[in-house]
Amino acid sequence: MAGSSTIQLRNSAPPLRATAESPVAKGILVGITLVFLGLFLFLPLVVVFQEAFSKGAGAFLRAFQDPYTHQAIWLTLLVAAIAVPLNTVFGLAAAWSLTRFRFRGRSFLVTLIDLPLWVSPVIGGLVYVLIFGAQGWLGPWLRENDIRIIFAVPGIVLATVFVTFPFVARGLIPLMEAQGIKEEEAALTLGANGWQIFRRVTLPKIKWGLLYGVILCNARAMGEFGAVSVVSGHIRGKTNTMPLQIEILYNEYHFAEAFAVASLLALLALITLFLKTYAEWRAERQLREASL
Amino acid sequence: MSITISNVSKSFSRYPALNGVGVEIQTGELIALLGPSGSGKTTLLRVIAGLEFPDNGGTVSFGDRDVTGLSAYKRRAGFVFQHYALFAHMSVFENIAFAFRVLPRRKRPPESAIRDRVATLLDAVQLTGYEKRLPTQLSGGQRQRVAFARALAIEPEVLLLDEPFGALDARVRKDLRRWLKEFHHRIRLTTIFVTHDQDEAFEVADRVVIIDKGVIQQSGTPNEVRKNPANDFVRDFLDLRQ
Repeated sequence: MAGSSTIQLRNSAPPLRATAESPVAKGILVGITLVFLGLFLFLPLVVVFQEAFSKGAGAFLRAFQDPYTHQAIWLTLLVAAIAVPLNTVFGLAAAWSLTRFRFRGRSFLVTLIDLPLWVSPVIGGLVYVLIFGAQGWLGPWLRENDIRIIFAVPGIVLATVFVTFPFVARGLIPLMEAQGIKEEEAALTLGANGWQIFRRVTLPKIKWGLLYGVILCNARAMGEFGAVSVVSGHIRGKTNTMPLQIEILYNEYHFAEAFAVASLLALLALITLFLKTYAEWRAERQLREASL
Repeated sequence: MSITISNVSKSFSRYPALNGVGVEIQTGELIALLGPSGSGKTTLLRVIAGLEFPDNGGTVSFGDRDVTGLSAYKRRAGFVFQHYALFAHMSVFENIAFAFRVLPRRKRPPESAIRDRVATLLDAVQLTGYEKRLPTQLSGGQRQRVAFARALAIEPEVLLLDEPFGALDARVRKDLRRWLKEFHHRIRLTTIFVTHDQDEAFEVADRVVIIDKGVIQQSGTPNEVRKNPANDFVRDFLDLRQ
């Protein structure tokens, strides 16, 4: 009895795990992370806002009255308004078919969805120039029929769809994989048709994962530079999106204006980050409940 | 309703789960599909429900009606899943009311009638007062009974249960066995349940169908099977070798 109590006393200090770090190492690691984040993320963000307001709030607001800037903002919103719903539908369809059906080539398709994340966005834009451009495959036919895709809004939409299409599908596939299809089967035996199953059973189960994907997709759609730059042609007031307009303003030494528009994009990023964190947290909870 | 299954085979990418299975089940019977895991018993249950379709040549009939090509949502057999598959985001009430909510508008009962029906079903499974709970807030036995009530909401003529007591602890299991038997006596619904537990099958069922390797080894009343096991597999599986 006495022996066991001494053993207990000796063991009362928290046991050291094999992976536990000493307090010094922990401090250094956390320190490095913080310095890095501060230097490469936080500081630039502060500079963007500081530069934007360097000539005062009046100048900041005036930057948005420039008609070309105005147009660029509208075009960005328009492109996102087309690309995001398209990729939401595509992502849902892809996640649904890839998690519900087993077929040959399935894992290859899952990998293929990630393609836009591996290739440089410039290549994404270039592909469309090769297909639809004046010298491209469909160039002569398009010219005959007076259809403009490259150096026009359709090309910008296409390029944006290309770079943003993995986000929704990637968010949904692991979630739907984990949830399985038992609830859907139960709904089927209770007389629900396909649409009712999707709306009443599947959608509530995946809504946070879906929102997470849509938010990321939207952020990328509004912020994309490379792919859009290739197909846009930089026609002021016509084919310039916000990121392209920022570059033009900057190159022409309108620093305050450039940073004012940039601050709007940065603000979008901050809102996205906040929404994403919230959606992620809810999606994780949904995933945990799925494994219950 | 009687069920006739004839010459049903089912293969999943080359490996056969069922091989020329035929069974006749009379109206009001309580049948156990008994067999080791991987024997094909759950596949057979899913074929009856319309969640899987038999390979060419097999037929499933409910009464005189050939339902072979009918999807589960038109076949309307009550199905209780092994892990219940309750809708996690819906309350107990909404889980049971689901079958009414998805009816076409002209067939859908008014809200007050739905409330009455759900109340009756909850009473039948002794869960009155649990309407607002979420499935995660229920014990295993309670979830099981909600799944039962939900399956009964469509007023099925056939009730199919996949390992209905598999996920429960021993004591709850015994209670529910007794409850299922009484329940079946009361409403005389043609019921088929899948189990790998021979005690369960013999205690509850009117007739036992023993399956192994996708083939029916023997079917008969518990007494018949115990007295005259058809072959070595049945003898071994039931541990009847003297």
